[in-house]
Amino acid sequence: MRKAQKPEVRGQKLTCFFIAVAALLGFIAFGSNVSAELTINANHSHITIDLFYNGSTVSVSGLSDAGTDLIIKIAAKDGHEMLKQKGKAAGLLWMNMGTLKFEHAPNLYFIHSTKKIDDILSMEEMNNYVIGYSALSKHIEIAPVTNDEERTRWFSEFIRYKEASNLYVVSSEQIKTTNENGKQKYYMKTDWPYQAPPGEYLVTVYAVKDKKIIEKAETKVLVEQVGIIKMLSGMAANNGTMYGIISIAVALGAGFGVGMVFRKGGGAH
Amino acid sequence: MYLYLPVALTSINIIIPIGLGLVVGLLSGLFGVGGGFLMTPLLIMLGIPATVAAATDSNQIVAASTSGTYAHWKIGNVDFKMGFHLLIGGFIGGLFGVQAIKILVAMGNADFVIKMTYVLMLGIIGAYMLVESLNSMKKNKVEDAKPEKESGVARLLKFLPLQTHYEKSGVIHSALMPIVLGGFVGVLAAIMGVGGGFLMVPVMVYILRMPMHVVVGTSLFQILFNSIEVTFLQAYTNHNVDFMLAVLLLLGSTIGAQVGAVFGRKLKGEQLKVILAVIVLVVTVKIIFELTMAPSLLLSQAGGH
Repeated sequence: MRKAQKPEVRGQKLTCFFIAVAALLGFIAFGSNVSAELTINANHSHITIDLFYNGSTVSVSGLSDAGTDLIIKIAAKDGHEMLKQKGKAAGLLWMNMGTLKFEHAPNLYFIHSTKKIDDILSMEEMNNYVIGYSALSKHIEIAPVTNDEERTRWFSEFIRYKEASNLYVVSSEQIKTTNENGKQKYYMKTDWPYQAPPGEYLVTVYAVKDKKIIEKAETKVLVEQVGIIKMLSGMAANNGTMYGIISIAVALGAGFGVGMVFRKGGGAH
Repeated sequence: MYLYLPVALTSINIIIPIGLGLVVGLLSGLFGVGGGFLMTPLLIMLGIPATVAAATDSNQIVAASTSGTYAHWKIGNVDFKMGFHLLIGGFIGGLFGVQAIKILVAMGNADFVIKMTYVLMLGIIGAYMLVESLNSMKKNKVEDAKPEKESGVARLLKFLPLQTHYEKSGVIHSALMPIVLGGFVGVLAAIMGVGGGFLMVPVMVYILRMPMHVVVGTSLFQILFNSIEVTFLQAYTNHNVDFMLAVLLLLGSTIGAQVGAVFGRKLKGEQLKVILAVIVLVVTVKIIFELTMAPSLLLSQAGGH
């Protein structure tokens, strides 16, 4: 279980130490005025991709101040993606017309909130913390596009493409909250798509009051290949020669093997 | 039961690729085609990235064509001499085809040319095969084919050097014929990104005048070598072959190819041609639909050509 971030105390000299202690005390005093505590815990924070992997589930839970709204963001690090764009050639036939580059686009982006984010968060805060598709549209750069209209169109196509692969979700129905001893307990369970590639994903919970984010807490979900899957994907990427030879040898062996079996069984004769 | 595919980075119900392999393997054993023109689009529909689908299919074809060639060799339907000559041409043609693709991509209209080549070739070949084989089925019922109607071109071809007797096929051609024709198919196959079995079969039937059953076995023989080459290059250069998916596909396709070879013996050459023609035409219509109907998603993974 992790709590809200605290500054690290560093330094060897005595003066530095006192300054750091004073700063720390000040931060704690200020922080306690904003919120008592916001905690986050992901129950399935290490997802292993083995031979029988077909996606998983991740549940996020914790405590917050009563009366705050919550937003949970699960996202991969910003990356870039090259996608083929379809268009009409000669005004008649649909085909690939070129490639679009999406810069600063996370491969996975889940936003879950207790209410619709437009109702609980100001536009400025959404943009600051990149929460919601409208903020994401300002965050992601698309090239080449000639004007804003074209940009908006391809951004919405990008969202449709990602949602079709279950990699982008925006929902305000998943988080359950209960009040206990003046605290709010929250819990959310979400499907983890098998389409999400191996990597580290940041899970952030934001406590929201008066359309502003007052606190945040973070944890991580690590997705990792193991066993034969790790061995095969590593070999495919790093030792193409051996991988190719084995793939061909297995295929030849299987072809001859089945041929022999059918011969013995009298299939072809 | 679901299995995870380490290169495609996706999970799949194993029944689907095994079943798909079985059907495409059956077509392979029956008609001497690799079935890439069916398998690759179906794999893409299942969520496999396009480049992985094409590369993995070639790995699967190694197994299906081995199984099919073996089955046809046992019943004496493989013309190895003809197969080798076609292979030489196909290899040279493939090199030219890859260069042609580079030029098309640089010109910026590669996709349009590829799609149009595909539709035209499939449409023309399918229609020609259908009409021709239906006609010859009718003629056979009435009377035996006329003994000799040699065209000027055919007489000219007899003056070419390296006249070779292809015993298994029962034909005499200049060795240059299969080399040049194999080269032509190789260029088109490389441009379209397919193995070219559905082009090679009509070339062998109508231009090289080989009997349909020998065509099927010989086509599978040369597809085997092509698919080995493509699988290795894909694994070595693009790292796109998904071993798990290939194993699932070949579980079905190796058996399908054997069953296809057995079925093929029970059908007449003309009947085989009619069925293949219908399949080729159905695929053509499907591609035309895809080209004219608005797709549900306007973005797709980059890769391939």
